[in-house]
Amino acid sequence: MNEFVERQMKLTWRPPKKSYDVVIVGAGGHGLATAYYLATRHGMSNVAVFERGYIGGGNSGRNTTIIRANYGIPAAVRFYQRSVDLYRGLEEETGRWLMHQQKGILWMAHSQAAVRAERMRAKLNTEFGAQTEWVEPRQVRELCPELDIEGGGRWPVLGASYHPQGATARHDRVVWALAEGAMERGAHVHQNTPVEGLVLDGERVTGVRTAAGDVAAGAVVSAVGGHVSRIAAMAGLRLPIRTHRLQAFVTNHYQQQFGPIVASSELFFYASQTARGEMLLGAEIDPQPSFSYRSSHDFVQDVCRRALCLLPFMSNLRVLRQWTGVCDMSPDYSPIMGQTGVNGFYLTTGWGTWGFKAIPAGGEQMAELIATGEVPELIAPFGLDRFARDRTMADRGSAGTH
Amino acid sequence: MATLLVDGQQVGAQAGDSLLVAMLRTGLHPTGGGCLCLGGDCPNCLVTVDGVAYTRCCQVPARDGMVVRRDLLGGEEPTLLPDESLSAGKAAPVRHVHCDTVVIGKGDSGREAAREARNADLSVVTLDARDGQHVTGVYPGPLVVASDQAGRVLHVHPRREIVVATGAAEIQPVVPGSDLEGLVTARAAAELVAAGIDLGHAVVVGERPAGLPEGTLAKHFPIGQDSWELLRFEGDGRVEAVVVRRQGDADATEERIESDTAVLGLGRNPRNALARMASDLPVRAVGSAAAEPDLPPCPTEGTVCPCSGVTVADLDDVWERGFHEMELLKRATLAGTGTCQGGVCLPYLRSFLLERGGRLQPAFTARPLNRQLTVRELAAGAHTAVTARSPLHDEHLSLGARMDRAGGWWRPWTYGRKDDEYRSVRERVSLGDVSSLGKMAISGPDAEAFLERIVPTKVATIRPGRCRYVLMLDERAYLLDDGMLCREADQDGGDRFFLTSTSGGSGFFELWLRDWAEAFGCDVRILNQTASLAAINVTGPQAARLLARAGAGELPSFGRHRQVRIAGVDCRVVRLSFTGELSYELHHPAADARTLWRRLLAAGAGFNVQPHGLETLLRLRLEKGHIVIGQDTDYDSTPRRLAHEWAVNLNKGDFVGRQALLRTNKLPLDKRLVALRVEEPPAGQAGDPSAEGAAIHDGERYAGYVTSDAGTAAGGGAPMLGWLYLDPEGNLPRDVTVDGRAARRVDGPIYDPEGARARAAVDIVSESPENVREFPLARPEATDLADEAPTGPPRLRRLEATRVSATTAALDAVVDDSPWPAGALAFRTASDELLVTATPDFEVAGDPHAIVEPETAFSYVWLDEATAERFLDRECEWRRPNARRALAQGEVAGIPAKLWFEAGRTLILVPAPFAAVFERRLTGSLGETDGGAP
Repeated sequence: MNEFVERQMKLTWRPPKKSYDVVIVGAGGHGLATAYYLATRHGMSNVAVFERGYIGGGNSGRNTTIIRANYGIPAAVRFYQRSVDLYRGLEEETGRWLMHQQKGILWMAHSQAAVRAERMRAKLNTEFGAQTEWVEPRQVRELCPELDIEGGGRWPVLGASYHPQGATARHDRVVWALAEGAMERGAHVHQNTPVEGLVLDGERVTGVRTAAGDVAAGAVVSAVGGHVSRIAAMAGLRLPIRTHRLQAFVTNHYQQQFGPIVASSELFFYASQTARGEMLLGAEIDPQPSFSYRSSHDFVQDVCRRALCLLPFMSNLRVLRQWTGVCDMSPDYSPIMGQTGVNGFYLTTGWGTWGFKAIPAGGEQMAELIATGEVPELIAPFGLDRFARDRTMADRGSAGTH
Repeated sequence: MATLLVDGQQVGAQAGDSLLVAMLRTGLHPTGGGCLCLGGDCPNCLVTVDGVAYTRCCQVPARDGMVVRRDLLGGEEPTLLPDESLSAGKAAPVRHVHCDTVVIGKGDSGREAAREARNADLSVVTLDARDGQHVTGVYPGPLVVASDQAGRVLHVHPRREIVVATGAAEIQPVVPGSDLEGLVTARAAAELVAAGIDLGHAVVVGERPAGLPEGTLAKHFPIGQDSWELLRFEGDGRVEAVVVRRQGDADATEERIESDTAVLGLGRNPRNALARMASDLPVRAVGSAAAEPDLPPCPTEGTVCPCSGVTVADLDDVWERGFHEMELLKRATLAGTGTCQGGVCLPYLRSFLLERGGRLQPAFTARPLNRQLTVRELAAGAHTAVTARSPLHDEHLSLGARMDRAGGWWRPWTYGRKDDEYRSVRERVSLGDVSSLGKMAISGPDAEAFLERIVPTKVATIRPGRCRYVLMLDERAYLLDDGMLCREADQDGGDRFFLTSTSGGSGFFELWLRDWAEAFGCDVRILNQTASLAAINVTGPQAARLLARAGAGELPSFGRHRQVRIAGVDCRVVRLSFTGELSYELHHPAADARTLWRRLLAAGAGFNVQPHGLETLLRLRLEKGHIVIGQDTDYDSTPRRLAHEWAVNLNKGDFVGRQALLRTNKLPLDKRLVALRVEEPPAGQAGDPSAEGAAIHDGERYAGYVTSDAGTAAGGGAPMLGWLYLDPEGNLPRDVTVDGRAARRVDGPIYDPEGARARAAVDIVSESPENVREFPLARPEATDLADEAPTGPPRLRRLEATRVSATTAALDAVVDDSPWPAGALAFRTASDELLVTATPDFEVAGDPHAIVEPETAFSYVWLDEATAERFLDRECEWRRPNARRALAQGEVAGIPAKLWFEAGRTLILVPAPFAAVFERRLTGSLGETDGGAP
């Protein structure tokens, strides 16, 4: 018997109605979280989430499930810390096992410039509530004995920033728990139903267009990943978003042994062991924009080579599967959330490589915005208009690989 | 006869045995039970072979001395760390093979496809699991990756077509008891019989295999319409009986037949994953790999996915709770996510979903890896990024420097005498290696106009012989890089400039300039001299005296540059200052760097000259308030936020970033990078950047954070740089706290605010002649390319050459003319660039703006043809020319290289900063044993 078979959650599918208070485009983590928090926090359940494929089938089901708040600018640290906190309580709140494991993340430095950057980050994170400390090589070794601290003689670990709240959770279960929570309070989720257009009344978005007809909506939220530029274009918006591939791979299952999440921003990869025992590795986005889901050999080849520098014990592990997601990258490496300047149309996008860890906070804040009409303080800095106002949330340092 | 160890027991193997066959001969069944397929499709024969877990023993030839553990499935999962865990870390060797067509699978259809291709005069490579070649993926490229029995990895690069002739897998049984031993597929049965293994009393269900001896067969039950259905297997650990019933009749009597072996011909599932994972490539499935899959009956009981231990009851359970899509069913149960990637369960998941949902759903997406290679095998052919070495690298090491990676270069971090390094700059004189700076020579009729549009500084007012600090902005007016722009004395060809960038930006620098030159349509020549020129910064109050003693003639005054011969080396001497002291930056040919460095140290002995490392430099610049790109800046750093408005001239016409500046300058300012002076001594030691990242508070208000700190300052009090937010009234606070320590924003640098030291007038123009030595030029390591190939292990040597940037037409004419000595080679590295392996005593007649410069930034090695081929088969991914006397360029061993093929020998040129690493990779690769041709 497999202990990982999902044995609790119940998904309830209902036929679509002609009109909802809120229509959310995209049943990934962010779309479903928005529906979930609308239902649980604001009592709004006349809500539908439209999904062109199956729930959680985009980046929500393709990411490397890392949860952390060690970002590089105060507004981001606060926001992601909120998400870390919500994640920690999500199993209890939903009553569902999400395989949430707090395991700590080590971000290793191999050069003096990286030492300074990581020490700086530790200090800034701690100041804003995301506890992070600088640890010397000796402590790194204690936290992760499997690491070759000499880096094969070429990439010695000079220390690391250590973020004990770094965690992982099973991505699919997070999606399903949010879907279930929204569904059981009356929200609708419609799979295999692409949104083909927006219904506009003058300057205002009043609904969505599907193959089965128009659906009226008091508010439309795009929580689309990968193709947000197309949805936004339907509302006449041009977004500062470029879409890039992000790849990852897992090995076969091995006994539980590898404790923390480890990352190297100079060797550009990160690794953790999943609850099932697979070693899971990811790295930076592909440099050229693309909408392709095709995995490349360069990626697995290069990441394996780099991983061997620090994790030589992986030499003989067999790689099981590689896959690809597509990331909507914003120019400042921060998300875009909130109003759009088009009445009735909201966006949560620019989730780049950091979307999974933001799911609860993103959903909570978007729900509050839609329910109250007021922009919550936590996401006020992340509005789309920040680019025109020259108030970008520049944070490239924290986004590098994750 | 080979002997191997299985769980400590000696097992003999006959020639041609797979590990599984050898084990079965000895009566050792893989643990965990289940139907054996012998085709590599199921997870039922996994073992650990020589430390590699998840090895299908049906796919591995039995080899003498093999150590096998049967610890998978039914037992614990293998451990992450083998005993030798920390000693590995090396990638497997790779071999690149180029062909027209690659055929995967040597069955009938594969052989036919190969024959057709050969008949069409195409070169064909065939790969087959039975030859030990396990194809893991078909990738964009196109690239086919396979492990090889020689212990290496094959990268096959087909130009025309990939033929997938991998046949079909056999459908496994999913009924109660399907995890017993003694179950084999029909094809497996035939193979085992052929290998002489006694199956005992065999019951065949479904298609009967050919070649099963009559005496073996106890009973045969065809399956399907109007025949039989398989109900279960019975037995304790091993099958004892097969139970069947007439198809479609629940009331019919069950038949129970005792048997030693159950042989199962339940249908075929095409092995088409390689074709499906590459649908956008020229890939074609043939034979049974291209057939439609058979759909088995919907399972009613038993284990559907043996890898993840998923039963039919599990499927029903999640189906009932709303998981109706194939992907949701898979993700909720994890069926199909184990080591056989759906090999067993996929046909049953489809029949399950068809029966429950009435809709035949497609198979889940085919992804690599088709056959599972190890991390070291997948890493084959990859190299980590090379860190460039300055020509002074070994000098630093011999002076005891601790080297550090910074901006893609190895740089001396400290020589172990931090305080003295600092004092030697501030009080005496010091040398700093700044060879890693990006360096561009720019000429052409539009050179000035081009640069006006590139930098926000007025270029027209930079007179020949002058230099200026310049910013480089992106279109959003965010700072990309900074550097200095020198205008050369008017030459015949008119304007020529020299522009530097920071070390970290140098890789991007050339691309950025060329991109804009093209976008603006400017007629310019651009020559990247980053590696060509080394640079030594001579800095400190005694800098001029040291240079004078080293034979320098007239030195430039502040803000100027000139050509000066120093210690026998021709240098471009630039006088600006990053340290805050009197500074001369000496740019000179890379080949002369060691000579110059040693002679400067010798000439400075009387001044107690010391070199300083990067750590000290960062402290020195901080005391002057100079920013470091990347450390003090981010993707929102406009000149205004950086307090660098003085480096921007908005009235000079358009330049990159000007439109954004005009717009954003009207918006209220939110924050500024400021210099702070923290009076209380910091907790850390001098040079310890302990406050970096610390929050700055204005009373209770969070007001920003520190980006640079270097500990104690010379004059007491710590200088820092940091981002400071304006207060709600729009003012920049003056008195703040850093980590609770009182700090004051200062308007100028803490050290020498007037800049008197850097700008000091220098009247020492020459030393008395008895102090000045004669310095003949010495380039001991440089040699002549025409030398015969050296014997012994290959060593790279520095090349004396010439590099030219000129118009395409002018270069065409020069190449036709070849005005260089016979035997010299000319590499046309780009339409507007040429590398000639001769010293520059020729003219480029067709282009008065041509840049012709001596080039010593390449290293070369001659290899005999056989050695070169052996090396390049492993380290050169791209297809090389077949012709002799041919040039080619591309990446070799992860390093950009230029190749010259002659009959009998091959020349390889690489940039000198990568030469040491290239030599190591060359030696390492040639030292690997060769597994022979595939």
